[in-house]
Amino acid sequence: MTIDIASLDRRRFLRGSAVALALPWLESFVGAAGAEVGAVERRAKHKRFACVYWPDGVPMPLAEDPAYQDWSWFPHGAGKDYTFTKCLETFGPLRQDLTIVSGMSHPAVRKVHGHSNADQFLTGADTGVRGDYKNSISLDQEFAAHVGEQTRYSSLVMSTDGGTGTPRGAHTLSFDRRGRAMPAAHRPKRVFDALFVKRDEDAAKRLALNESALDDLLVDARSLRKKLSGHDQQSLDEYLDSVRETEQKIEKAKRWASIPLPTVAGHDLKLESTPDESRAYLQAMLGLIHLAFQTDSTRVATYQIGRENGVGISDHLARAVGFQLAHQLSHETKKPGGWKNFATYCGFLNEEMARFAAKLKATKEVGGVGNMLDNTLILFGSASSAFHLSRNYPLVLLGGNNMGFQHGQYLNYLRGTAFGGAWTGGREPWQQEFAHEDKPLANLFVTMLQRLGVETNSFAGSTGVIDEV
Amino acid sequence: MIDTKNVRHRNVRHKNVRHKNVRYIVCFAALLCVMCNGAYAQVVEAPEDSKTLQDPKPAAQPKSFDELKVEGARRSSYHTHESKRVAETAPEPDLKTFQKLIQPVLAKACFECHGPDKQKGELRIDTLNADLFAGNDVDWWLEVLAVLTNGEMPPEDEVELADGDRTRVIEWLAAEIQIASTTRRATIKHSSFRRMTRYEYNYALQDLLGLPFDFAEDLPPDPTSKDGFQNSSEVLHVSGMQFRAYLDASRRALRLATITGEQPEMLHWGVSMPAAAAVEWAKQDQQLANLRKKHKDDSKKLEVELARQAERFLKRPNGVFYKDLKSGRMARQSWGYNGAKFAWKPAEKRPEVPAQLEQIAVVPQRKALVVELGNQLPERGMLRVRVRASRESREHDGAPSLQLMFGWQASNDSSSSYVIGKEELVVAAAPGAAQFYEWQVPLSQIYPRNMVRKTQELGQLPSPSEYIKILNTSHSGGDVWIDHVEVSAPVYEQWPPTSHTKIFGDRASSKPAEENVYAREVLTQFLSRAWRRDATQQEVAQKVKLFEKLRPKCGSFEDAMVETLATVLASPNFLYVVASKADGLSGLELATRLSMFVWCSMPDRELQTLASTGQLQDADVLRDQLERMLRDPKARRFSQHFVRQWLGLELLDFLHVDRKAYPRFDATLKQAMAEEPIAFFHEVLQQDHSALEFLHANFTMANERLAKHYGLSDVTGNQFRRVELTPEQGRGGLLTQAGLLAMNSDGIDSHPLKRGIWMLERLLNDPPPPPPPAVPEIDLTDPEIAKMTLKQRIENHRDHPACMSCHAKIDPWGIAFENFDAVGRFRTKIGGKPVDSVSVLFNKQKLDGVDGLKRFLLKNRQDQFVRALVQKLATFALGRPLTFADRAAIDEITAQTRMRGDGLATMITSIVTSELFQSN
Repeated sequence: MTIDIASLDRRRFLRGSAVALALPWLESFVGAAGAEVGAVERRAKHKRFACVYWPDGVPMPLAEDPAYQDWSWFPHGAGKDYTFTKCLETFGPLRQDLTIVSGMSHPAVRKVHGHSNADQFLTGADTGVRGDYKNSISLDQEFAAHVGEQTRYSSLVMSTDGGTGTPRGAHTLSFDRRGRAMPAAHRPKRVFDALFVKRDEDAAKRLALNESALDDLLVDARSLRKKLSGHDQQSLDEYLDSVRETEQKIEKAKRWASIPLPTVAGHDLKLESTPDESRAYLQAMLGLIHLAFQTDSTRVATYQIGRENGVGISDHLARAVGFQLAHQLSHETKKPGGWKNFATYCGFLNEEMARFAAKLKATKEVGGVGNMLDNTLILFGSASSAFHLSRNYPLVLLGGNNMGFQHGQYLNYLRGTAFGGAWTGGREPWQQEFAHEDKPLANLFVTMLQRLGVETNSFAGSTGVIDEV
Repeated sequence: MIDTKNVRHRNVRHKNVRHKNVRYIVCFAALLCVMCNGAYAQVVEAPEDSKTLQDPKPAAQPKSFDELKVEGARRSSYHTHESKRVAETAPEPDLKTFQKLIQPVLAKACFECHGPDKQKGELRIDTLNADLFAGNDVDWWLEVLAVLTNGEMPPEDEVELADGDRTRVIEWLAAEIQIASTTRRATIKHSSFRRMTRYEYNYALQDLLGLPFDFAEDLPPDPTSKDGFQNSSEVLHVSGMQFRAYLDASRRALRLATITGEQPEMLHWGVSMPAAAAVEWAKQDQQLANLRKKHKDDSKKLEVELARQAERFLKRPNGVFYKDLKSGRMARQSWGYNGAKFAWKPAEKRPEVPAQLEQIAVVPQRKALVVELGNQLPERGMLRVRVRASRESREHDGAPSLQLMFGWQASNDSSSSYVIGKEELVVAAAPGAAQFYEWQVPLSQIYPRNMVRKTQELGQLPSPSEYIKILNTSHSGGDVWIDHVEVSAPVYEQWPPTSHTKIFGDRASSKPAEENVYAREVLTQFLSRAWRRDATQQEVAQKVKLFEKLRPKCGSFEDAMVETLATVLASPNFLYVVASKADGLSGLELATRLSMFVWCSMPDRELQTLASTGQLQDADVLRDQLERMLRDPKARRFSQHFVRQWLGLELLDFLHVDRKAYPRFDATLKQAMAEEPIAFFHEVLQQDHSALEFLHANFTMANERLAKHYGLSDVTGNQFRRVELTPEQGRGGLLTQAGLLAMNSDGIDSHPLKRGIWMLERLLNDPPPPPPPAVPEIDLTDPEIAKMTLKQRIENHRDHPACMSCHAKIDPWGIAFENFDAVGRFRTKIGGKPVDSVSVLFNKQKLDGVDGLKRFLLKNRQDQFVRALVQKLATFALGRPLTFADRAAIDEITAQTRMRGDGLATMITSIVTSELFQSN
């Protein structure tokens, strides 16, 4: 594991209460000891961000429905005075580490059918409902652009379904600066190997070889480009861009080549598991984020638990709690026990998420203050609430106590005006008019970026910040 | 709006639930996805449907399908096709109708509240731009359409709007929106310059390197275009990660193709059944010994017990067992991972093969013989498994078949086993005349291997040992007898292997001083193949320079070459296909387009040579080449990928069949279902049968499992073969294929809407009109509705004016399929009630079940179907969406095909020899 010497908390070290540090650093530390001691207060040196997304919304029975009390996703109450429903209660032990948010959404896509919501959850882009498709940079990548160079990998992008998916049917939460979908990894073993298993003895040589190869490929591409018609040239420009992007990666990687991959002492992740072994798979994917963060392999991670609208391997995740297909549960809330079934599935996701957060909380921040959760901001959410409604995103902000979050509250911006109930025909919820407008989610994103240390006042058409968190 | 819905619901496959008896249809949004996957707008010349209206009652002896094919063909408008002018320009908005018929209705019904005086809801309708093609008020019109469809507006108590008027407005708006959205797409010109798809890249490497490996496994999956195709230039983008994945995959492929150093020693495992059975005999002997001990004082009792025990040894055990043919004694094969006690030791010398043995392993149907090999299987080279086997039965017609599996069990919950040798070997040898059956599987392609095989000692836990299994895959072929198994690895037919010499030539190695010369030779050769054209001197020089730069960083000449060659394969010159030129395709680009079309891969040497010498553009040469290529086994790839994409077979992958409702449904059947349309298409192609065979044929392609599903007898074995059908069997053509029916069900019951929409969209290329934004679910709490049959419910629902325009176009098609359940089995009853699969089309044409539907299509819709198929094939062939400018060409190809008798190969020839295919 590599530890940035500057990140050592001198105070704790001097107090002798810090984790044991290996000798080699002592010298350098002493060398730097002349610097001011004591200026470091509750800081999060290694700020991290993870976003975990689930598709298809949440159970929202009406207040008069018997299922309302237990099987609603959103808590009852507001502010500090709120109670978890059975669906969320698994987060109980983490109450002071999290904030639940209701009544926020992306204005540009409120009239988009919930089935295409994963695309813009982290981008806030107006991805539209037809014709041209344009997306923009996602929140995680904005942060990665800020911190990515400090770690071996600038970000870890994962999803259960893998790849990029299609426009308006993304299999990834992450979009690069040009709004291009970044393909997500879906095999735990592959991710693990990339993070921790050194496959090549001499990475430096590898990089040098790659560098020469890229130079050569640029020559190939440029000379081919000259022979092409205008339209074809545009297609080839994508290729040129991707070679250039790779060159930049190599530049960055060169710095890491001399540092060995971190080793993981032991883990209990079932790396060969597939989504058919739902729980083990989910644990493996989330566990990989934990390991990647713990080893400071990256500080940015996204994981899309499932593509919207079923029709993918992620739909099988419902098997963990005895159902066949996850998406179907969101459609069957009218059936007897429907709300409970849907909430049971959401509860399973919550449970694994809580497990993941608790794991971060139980892991000391090496060279920093507090535990890893205190220095990790997690956004756990979905971009639809009631049946396909692209409003009132169910959101949980977890962790980041060291970044100044006022956790332990439920920011209930809707105060009882939330739209709910099973769809009983007529216009679907997403097509209806709403008297009440949500707050722009991008405002919260700006606050998050600021707390993560990115100096910015805007993101994706934000109109301000959210101070209450 | 079509677009809107389309995109939103692109992948929607709501499994709307119908519990046992409660069947309710969800017509709505959920399905509409399927409904509006609109390809490029097409306005098929209206067939002479109207004539059928006056058809008298069917004659006592209805015409046969074959007669109908002839009759329908006579009606084709293409027989008189003489350079018929087809509009190549985009459709225009239909403002005339608007002014004449629509605006007056709106004025009466809407303007009072949404006009100059009042603008309720901030909506003013009288000033909306009725041009849905270029106007800016599309969103408002969608709104208008929605409220009219749902009956929300105008308020019932204030304004009266006659059903007819409402329907007229809805239909006009829906049609305009649909045409406008497809127009928008079809007016954008798409070049066909694109990167190869994942599967094309894989095949290209396989063909180039001569290795049948999966080279694309690490590449991210490709998306699907609106037409359903993966090879469309509009979706084949390249990201940085994709580029790196291609570069890595190229390197990996080249490493697998090339070798360094000496040939590795081969290891051999010789496993004879007497030796394998010895453990079990010993156990039995021990049992006898125990008896002798137990009853040593009672000789009579001992005799009885021994006899009883001996009798037990003559009883057939479950599972795989050993048998002594002389004594008839049998013992079940036992196996356990613990301690690798069952692992056989390899020898460096190939053990002698014994003469036919008297002790054998009996492998019953669906059971597998385990042969544990320990932890010395290498990483590369071939794994060769030879099994001496015969079938058990002398009489049985159908011979059993074997498949090879690989697996390991490291600990109690860590194990894996899977089929590796895909091909099934039919064990035709009769008992007493056992023969060797052999598989060769590349070890590099076996995944996942036992992860602890290198780190653990044999006998330790977790166990590092690996095994193979010989699986009897037959359903009715009976037992397989095996008396000897021989395993060898790594097997190389020659050293260096062909894949190596294909790149490096026969030279053993080169002296350092000659390396550059050698490199230049290799590169010149390789470049001209990989880039599908002769490389220029400059290009070769550039690569040689790269080699020189890389050589000092690499351990060997070969390593440096692999690095250099990887850039050849990651170059856009390899990855991108079919660049456009102002004056049509060059011969070489034509060759690439052709081979990408019918082989899903790069041209072979012969095609490339003809292209580079300019001969390919000669029409006869081109035709000959196409014919040759279609005969080549590689054409099977075309059938597979085109059919999967054309018919949207991925739906079948995601189908979840309710096991309670269909306990006999299994993975083998699903696999067979997925294979049938492909095998059928391939047969039609190979025989140049008429494309109308897709609508009805007197044969299908089936294996035993599928045949059993269809209730056809006399098909044994897992191989697909042509099976003739009789009219009584009620099958024939795509419309009755189980997989296609099943994937358009919800896994519990049939789904008429999905089936109807699928047929319109995929087969007739005529997606139904856009759905209203939200259609109410049928209210099952209404006792009147609950009493109705599904068909009645659909009809009831359709009577609703708002639903009518849409459903009248879909439902009858879907209802015609009602004789087929969710897994495509024929049925005459649903829930005790007789199936009613009679429906009436919007033009009063009656469809009597799927036969009636087929009759109707054959009689009246031949032109539409053939043209639709031409369009789909042409889209696939060009690798880009079609535009309005392509319409005339499509029509011309259709006409040619029709006039030449509709043969599928003929159709493909017409496409390939068309101006469209040879230009951009």
